[in-house]
Amino acid sequence: MDSIHPVRKVLSPLFLIGGLALLGASLAMDCMGGGPPPFYQYRGLILIAGILLFFAGLYLFPTLTHHRDIVNVIFLFPLLFTFGVTVIIPLLLGIFYSMTDWTGIRYTQFVGLANYAQMFHEVSFLWSLLITVLFVVFNMVLVNLVGFALALLCTSRLKGVGFFRAAYFLPNLIGGIVLGYVWQFVFNNVLVKVTGASLLTKTPSAFAAIIVVYIWQYAGYIMLIYVNGLVTVPGDVLEAAAIDGANAFTTLLRIKIPMIASTITICTFLTLTSAFKQFDVNMALTNGTGSVMDFMGQYLSNGTQMLALNIYNTAISKNSYALGQAKAVLFFIILACVSLVQVRISNSKEVEL
Amino acid sequence: MKTKLKTSTFVTIMVIAVIVALYTLAPFFLVCINVFKNANGIVADPVSFAGASVRQLMTNLSNVINNSNFSFWYAFGTSALITILSLILLALFGGMAAWVICRNKTVWSNAIYMVFIASMIIPFQVVMLPLISTFRDVGNFVGLSMLQSIPGIVFAYCGFGGAMTVFILTGMVKTVPYDLEEAASIDGCSYEGIYFRIIFPLLRPSVVTVTILNGMWIWNDYLLPSLMLGQNGKVKTLPVAVQAFVGSYVKQWDLILTAALLAMIPMIIIFLIAQRQIMSGMVEGAVK
Amino acid sequence: MKRWLSLLLAAVLTLSLAACGGNAPAGNDASGGAESPADSSGGAPSADSIRLVNGKIEVDAALKKLAAMYKEETGVEVSIESMGGGIDIQGTLKGYYQAGNMPDIFVNGGASDFANWGGLCADMSDQPWVSDTDAAYVNEDGVVGFPYTVEAIGLAYNADILEKAGVDPATLTSPAAYEAAFATIDGMKDELGITAVVGYYTEPVNLYWSTGNHLFGNYEDAGLDREDTTYFDLLSNGGQLDVDRFTDFANFVALLQQYADQSMMISGTYDQQILNFASGKYAFVTQGSWIGATMTTDDADAYAAAGNFKVGMAPYAFQDGIDTILTNSPSWWAVYKDGNVDAAKAFLQWLTTDAAQEVLVMEAGFISPFNSSAYVATDPFAQTIVDYQNAGKTSGWHWLGNKEGLAQNYTGQVFNDYAQGNLDTERFVQVMQQVCATAYAG
Repeated sequence: MDSIHPVRKVLSPLFLIGGLALLGASLAMDCMGGGPPPFYQYRGLILIAGILLFFAGLYLFPTLTHHRDIVNVIFLFPLLFTFGVTVIIPLLLGIFYSMTDWTGIRYTQFVGLANYAQMFHEVSFLWSLLITVLFVVFNMVLVNLVGFALALLCTSRLKGVGFFRAAYFLPNLIGGIVLGYVWQFVFNNVLVKVTGASLLTKTPSAFAAIIVVYIWQYAGYIMLIYVNGLVTVPGDVLEAAAIDGANAFTTLLRIKIPMIASTITICTFLTLTSAFKQFDVNMALTNGTGSVMDFMGQYLSNGTQMLALNIYNTAISKNSYALGQAKAVLFFIILACVSLVQVRISNSKEVEL
Repeated sequence: MKTKLKTSTFVTIMVIAVIVALYTLAPFFLVCINVFKNANGIVADPVSFAGASVRQLMTNLSNVINNSNFSFWYAFGTSALITILSLILLALFGGMAAWVICRNKTVWSNAIYMVFIASMIIPFQVVMLPLISTFRDVGNFVGLSMLQSIPGIVFAYCGFGGAMTVFILTGMVKTVPYDLEEAASIDGCSYEGIYFRIIFPLLRPSVVTVTILNGMWIWNDYLLPSLMLGQNGKVKTLPVAVQAFVGSYVKQWDLILTAALLAMIPMIIIFLIAQRQIMSGMVEGAVK
Repeated sequence: MKRWLSLLLAAVLTLSLAACGGNAPAGNDASGGAESPADSSGGAPSADSIRLVNGKIEVDAALKKLAAMYKEETGVEVSIESMGGGIDIQGTLKGYYQAGNMPDIFVNGGASDFANWGGLCADMSDQPWVSDTDAAYVNEDGVVGFPYTVEAIGLAYNADILEKAGVDPATLTSPAAYEAAFATIDGMKDELGITAVVGYYTEPVNLYWSTGNHLFGNYEDAGLDREDTTYFDLLSNGGQLDVDRFTDFANFVALLQQYADQSMMISGTYDQQILNFASGKYAFVTQGSWIGATMTTDDADAYAAAGNFKVGMAPYAFQDGIDTILTNSPSWWAVYKDGNVDAAKAFLQWLTTDAAQEVLVMEAGFISPFNSSAYVATDPFAQTIVDYQNAGKTSGWHWLGNKEGLAQNYTGQVFNDYAQGNLDTERFVQVMQQVCATAYAG
């Protein structure tokens, strides 16, 4: 490894030049919008081949001093490239597009904050915002309570803990679209025999139904995290408490809960952000339908449409891409604030400990 | 006295546990009994076994599998291919990137790491619309089909899954003692060889974790494929196919529930096989 | 290390190869098209061969039989290329176009499909069949769509029940007549063995299209000439409604609600609606001719048990004198302008002849849109549609041009609220005006 193999001295420049040539040829054809027929059709492949060849040449580059750096670059490149193209560039473009009259394909002018102003004048959007906040608050409390209760259940002296744990967790495995339809069946064809009209046809009960389904799906997961936290509570502490005559309830309140405070923080924010992003179940279960007779003086037909679905509908169904994108940016800002608060809280907790 | 109390507590706990389990399992149970019936049987009585027969299950299965709007095997294969390719590439590239980031304490590597971490709060909704237009424009420009193609969607999953993968794997690389690498280097192992021979095998537990987390996400994901591949396009994944099938004109519950069952079964089988790893992987992913 | 590297390279290469594989059939519009045109059509096009792309794979056999008959008669070879439901037919056709491999006749499903082919479809207004039907597709390029089947929207009824109750469906051309008929039938529910007079379902998540598109479509078209777009134009202009006409319509909907199956009206499903009608539990049902297929296949047992009763369709007569049902062809065959136009036109004309109609109607199960056709399909609703067509009592079907998502996001929900009693008639009209304006503003 100490001496450089002569073959590399030949191959490396060959690959580098060849790769660059292919790259250049492909890009030239892209820019001209034409080229010799068999090549033009495969210009995408030529581009990829060029990139690969270039990296092969780079890898074989006859140097000892910079070999590490070259390998570093080659190792980082794939992930950084995909990450940049799929996340960073669209994010920046998205923030820009939200201030234009973008149609999903092109934009003609910069409109400043007009889209943002417009969305706050859209009563149906304000409604979506409102019920999303409600949904998040309900879920944050209920999913955590249920998850914690299940965790206590699963850490008590229960026969067949493994089975129950798996049974509670099972719903979390199934994608939101599929289970949304399954629950639609349950509400419209099974429970309807008890409830008269389906719960999904009235806005308040449909909203409650989404919460129930969401708890059903998510509580098992939160339970697992709490179980993980509860088993770290040292047994001797619990024993000492028992000897001191503490009953189950005080043990829970005074020892278990304080000792898993960080787990509670994690679960709270986990439920918060995931409830905020709720889309699949909302779409499959009610698709946002439900009426509101009078909200700020208007009749609304999107009674159960939460923020993520509202964004999707604005852009895709109603074809208002710029407005949808502006809503999405607001959505991003809200989530970013929530995450900052979370970081703050967990950091201050760590200091306390 | 004490034991008596314990028995009653035990019974109460068991009863509660069973009731909750019945609740969580009830929808699965309803799916399972109704796939044995025809549409009228389901409409007439969805909770009993009345009208259930194995022959009807076979009819339903063949109706769904052969339905040209659903094309189950094709969608299943597409989903599997996309998931497997994405998982392999994510583990490979993620490990490589995590190692480089961890072992080079430069401003650059630190910045890259921070960007990855910060990007984890970006919701998909804010990038989805520009993503589609970027992919379309770039694809048209360089002559590669990025939308409506399996490589395109694998590329996107590598981009979206990258941050979390790097985050978890970096944590693991940190635990590998540096002495090990030095020793290998002295033994004449090349720089890249150290990673593939020493580090990557040691990362296995964390690779399993990220594979589980990414796998569940990619397999169940609806929004990204529905936007990239189109609602009823040429290429479709299982969730998109279910949505296209169910969202079509008429609700035929016999077929829909059978389709739902077919979509659930792979996940449930994998869960039964790797229950322990999946549950601990999910916890690990959250706690970190 | 080398092994790992080669593995990595192989992985990336496979990926990129797959990328190419994904690209080739996509026929990306930027690629200028280089696909070889020769291989898929089966021989170079000549004057005596035409190629037809069909979108209903279930009638493939019938079409191939027609092709064989046509070849025997004229010597012209017709190759049939059938595409199933899962295929993106328009996308495939665009690929064909770019590759210079367009079929001579191809299927189009409606305005958005035809919009893809502006200036590329041959005008067929000189063809004799045009005067024989009112379901041809006409746009600014002329008569560009050849209809081959017909669907209809009307108030479907169980003829046996009406007869037993002594109601003559021909008299149902005014709200008053309906009110009397509903009251009569309602009074004889037990004798007739029905659970409700009307199967009117308004569930908003899955059935919004029934109310929001089809019922609402009657407001736009019922009673009008096929080309009359007065109310459609008004709606297109910022979502306006004609208050008088819509109020009459709303009152008629209220009548439907009054006599509807209350237990099902709010959240019943399509399956239940059709099954209950097929089982003879409703005298009327608010669905169109497509339910005939469900009644004779999925619900065949229940339909047979109810005596395979005769069915018919009555107009949604929400104003005095409305006596039309809405009919339309769900898809059309268009002729490619630069293809073998004359041979294609000749073939389409031949399809309206007696021998060809026999196959199209009796074997493919189509309801003929041609007045001269002597055949009536076995579908329960075929006869009633043919009768209306022959009497010239059909209206157009303009709701297809409504604002996208109008029914799903707005009007379907309003119908449901009206049925739930959350809105009275006056408020229903107001809210409908409001949501239509909102939908068209966005």
